[in-house]
Amino acid sequence: MADDKDVLRDVWFGRIPTCFTLYQDEITEREAEPFYLLLPRMSYLTLVTDKVKKHFLKVMKAEDIEEMWFDFEGTSLKWHYPIGLLFDLHASNTALPWSITVHFKNFPERDLLHCPSNSVIEAHFMSSIKEADALKHKSQVINDMQKKDHKQLWMGLQNVVLCSSDKFDQFWAMNRKLMEYPTEEGGFRYIPFRIYLTMSDRPFIQKLFRPISPDGHTHTLGDLLKEVYPVAIPNDDESKHYQVVIHGIEPLLETPLQWLSEHLSHPDNFLHISVIPAPSD
Amino acid sequence: MLHVTIPPFPPPEMSSCFLDEETFCQCCQLLLQHSHSLCDGWSWEQVKGSEEGYLRKTALGTGRTRCNLDQQGNSSDQHQERTFSLSFHNDDDDDDEDDGAVCCIQEESSSSSVVQYEYHILYSCSYQTPVLYFRASTLEGRSLCLEEVWDSVHPNYRQRLQHRPWDTITQQEHPLLGQSFFVLHPCRTEEFMMPVLKAALEEHRQVNYIVTWLSVVGPVVGLDVPLSYCTQKHQWLCTRRLIDCK
Repeated sequence: MADDKDVLRDVWFGRIPTCFTLYQDEITEREAEPFYLLLPRMSYLTLVTDKVKKHFLKVMKAEDIEEMWFDFEGTSLKWHYPIGLLFDLHASNTALPWSITVHFKNFPERDLLHCPSNSVIEAHFMSSIKEADALKHKSQVINDMQKKDHKQLWMGLQNVVLCSSDKFDQFWAMNRKLMEYPTEEGGFRYIPFRIYLTMSDRPFIQKLFRPISPDGHTHTLGDLLKEVYPVAIPNDDESKHYQVVIHGIEPLLETPLQWLSEHLSHPDNFLHISVIPAPSD
Repeated sequence: MLHVTIPPFPPPEMSSCFLDEETFCQCCQLLLQHSHSLCDGWSWEQVKGSEEGYLRKTALGTGRTRCNLDQQGNSSDQHQERTFSLSFHNDDDDDDEDDGAVCCIQEESSSSSVVQYEYHILYSCSYQTPVLYFRASTLEGRSLCLEEVWDSVHPNYRQRLQHRPWDTITQQEHPLLGQSFFVLHPCRTEEFMMPVLKAALEEHRQVNYIVTWLSVVGPVVGLDVPLSYCTQKHQWLCTRRLIDCK
């Protein structure tokens, strides 16, 4: 469907205007100006912030620079989460631009993963794709791909920062194989999803969930939530306590899960769903 | 003594040997029973408000740590030679945007020291296998970095880990706690479990999946499994039915 392909493009090209400010306790030789950047929702912080690092390096001494990390309002930001997810989870109902604080010292060892090079980001990304395919196709599709096909997926993601139609096509030429399923099945074996919570110690919920029930009923987003996180769905007489957000929007709970998985997944083939408190009026 | 009805393991059709979550929990409970008798430190941690949980154990072991690192794990040493490289792939892609050294350990600047390990055994529903998570710190409380963890792996296992990207140790987020842990990647588990389970099936023996699995992956990261785990009768699953393989 022509409309559905537009959804893929809109998701791919999503951007968040961001303002990076150096943490006040960092040692600088002169005052550091904030740095503005449009961040691609689909990418990862450490993949797209070289310019940020270079900007602040100009006013700092080399010996005061360790691994760069970020926080938003005191919460350290996990680089291995897609940027769009981080925004939806932590800053959905705040004013733009998104204000991120940059650190070069006191890396929070217990909470953040280290990211010494792009290889680590690639390994993480490919690992997610592999896991998603284990759920969708028992790993058959990903294992049938050659190493160069894996590279094409990774190159496509690296290039998401470029607003180029070619790069979108390059990625989807390979990714569409991961989105196929036998017609008689009606959908994937299980849907790769994670529901992220802000009001819990647990970072996310991930369970086995089929897109089609044994008696052929198409499962919706609402069915998924009722099964794995019923707290997110208001009772009929209650006002809404939570928002269920994917790529910055609240899809209707009646949306078929299979459709969401095919169209609103991230490049890592996972549906990353944020459940956040609804803003009080 | 635990009185439960547990379906026979290995399952009758041996085309795959995936572990379902219920059997995972039951195998863990059996392991715990034996652990209590040995007092070797395993406990079951339940996730608040859910039936999910994981096995946990802390232990002191040896590891190779860098002696010139400060509390934050940063080197006071000016020299960092690349004697040991840590990439998973042959990096022919453009790396000049990287931060610089994937830091390495020179033989002279690392030494054997006492390390505090914490091991968690979780269930992966994506791969339908158990997964071993662990973290390590010095006695002063400094977290070991990935390079030190690699250096602490027994030389016998190191070659295997280096050449097969999917068998490797990486840093990951703990799915239940949200903190940084090291993980042995689970996607090849079926490869080494299958022959063991098939043999058990043919010989009409039953096995504790977790004990068998742990005895393979544990020693790689300093976690040994005493032999009595496999020889104690109550470690086998309770059902004594013979399995017909169709």
